[in-house]
Amino acid sequence: MPFREINSKMVEATVVPGQKMYSQRGAMLAYRGDVSFTPNLQGGQGGLASMIGRRVAGEATPLMTVEGSGTVLFGHGGHHIQVIALAGDTLYVEADRLLAFDGTLQQSTMFMGSQGGVMGMVRGQVTGQGLFTTSLKGHGSVAVMAHGGVIELPITPGREVHVDPQAYVAHHGDVRNKLSTALGWRDMVGRGSGEAFQLELSGSGAVYVQASEEKL
Amino acid sequence: MFRLQGGKTLAVDLTGDGVKAKNGSMVAYDGRMAFKKMSGGGEGIRGMVTRRLTGEQMTMMEVTGQGTCYFADRASEINLVTLRGDKLYVEASNLLATDAGLRTGTTFTGLRGGAGGNGLFTTTVEGTGQAAIMSDGTAVVLRVTTRYPLSVDPGAYIAHQGNLQQHFQSGVNFRTLMGEGSGESFQIRFEGEGLVYVQPSERNTLGGDV
Repeated sequence: MPFREINSKMVEATVVPGQKMYSQRGAMLAYRGDVSFTPNLQGGQGGLASMIGRRVAGEATPLMTVEGSGTVLFGHGGHHIQVIALAGDTLYVEADRLLAFDGTLQQSTMFMGSQGGVMGMVRGQVTGQGLFTTSLKGHGSVAVMAHGGVIELPITPGREVHVDPQAYVAHHGDVRNKLSTALGWRDMVGRGSGEAFQLELSGSGAVYVQASEEKL
Repeated sequence: MFRLQGGKTLAVDLTGDGVKAKNGSMVAYDGRMAFKKMSGGGEGIRGMVTRRLTGEQMTMMEVTGQGTCYFADRASEINLVTLRGDKLYVEASNLLATDAGLRTGTTFTGLRGGAGGNGLFTTTVEGTGQAAIMSDGTAVVLRVTTRYPLSVDPGAYIAHQGNLQQHFQSGVNFRTLMGEGSGESFQIRFEGEGLVYVQPSERNTLGGDV
C-alpha cells in the first residue's frame, strides 16, 4: 500500500526505485528525497493506441510520471481524497477525479456509452462527464478525489444501487451500469423532484458516492 | 431511521414509509424509491400561498420506498435533531430532511431576518420524529436557560428549539457610523429554555458588514 492518508485532503506516497507512479499533473504538494516528475505525453500507459483513444475520448487529463526514491505529498484543490486498494479487480473512475495511482496498474479507457444503449449515450450528457471512463486493473492503490466525504456502498446481486450522476465518483467490481429515468409528466412541466436521472449499478462490487452534487 | 454516514451523508432506512427532503439532495439509494416534488410544502393551498408570500423558498420532495436512501448537499455537515412534540425553527437553506410525519411551515421572524440575510420568515418543523439540519462545519448545540440567555451572530445561527423568545439586538453606535465597527453590531438574543444550533462559520449577512 504505497499511499498513506495524512488527512482527508492529503496523501503521502512512497516512491521506490524501479516502481513508477502516475499522478495528475500539478497535484504534487511537497516531496522528500530524490524524485523526478516528468509530463506524460501518452497520458498514462498503453502506448500510442491508448493515447489516441484518450484524445478521442476527451479523457485528456494530463498525467505525469513520478519516479525515484522518496516520499511525495499529493493533494488537489482542497478536495477530499479517498484511497482505494485493488486486489486484481478493476476500478472505473472519471479521469478528472484521478489523483494518483500505482504504476503497476493497467490503465485503459472504456466506452461507457456501449452499456445501456441510447440511455448509455445520454449518460455523458446528463452527468456532464465523458462517455469514456478510465479503468485501472491489477494489484495496487488508487487515490481519487471527491467533493466532501465519500461513502462506499456495496452492490450485490439482486440489490442494485442507484446513484445521482453528479454524486457518482467511481465503482469497482463486476458491475453493469445504465442510466435510468424517473421522468414523469411532472418533470416535463418543470415541477420535478430534481431526481429525474439516476445511474443504476447492478452486479457485484461497490460504488463510491460523494456527499455532494457538485462537480470537481 | 436516520443515520449519519461520515458526517456529511444522511442514510434513511425506509420500510414502505416516507421522508421529506430538500429537492435534489438524493445522492444514492438501493431498493425501490419514488420521488415526488411536494407542491407548496404539502400543507395545502394555505401553505402554498404562505410560501409564495413569505419568499421562504423551501422546495422539498417526498421520498417513499423500501430500502436505504442517501442524502447529501454540497458536502455540508449534517446534524440530527430529535423532536418530541416540540417545534424546531430552522433556516430553510439549512433543512435537509425530516420524517414524513413532521409538519413543516413558515413563521415570521421579524427584523432579525433582515440582518440575518435570510428573509423575514423562517421554517418550522413540528411534531414527533427526526430532522436533519445542515451546517457549514460541525455545529455546536448551546443550551439556553432563564438564567443564561444567549446572543448569536445572525450569520452563524442555523436553528433553535424549545420555549425561546428571540429578539434582535443592535450595537450600532457612533463608531459604527464612522466606519469603525467591530463587525459584531447585530446579534439575535435568545431568552427562555431551549437549544440553539450554531455553525462555526458566518454566511454573508447584511449585518456582517457593519
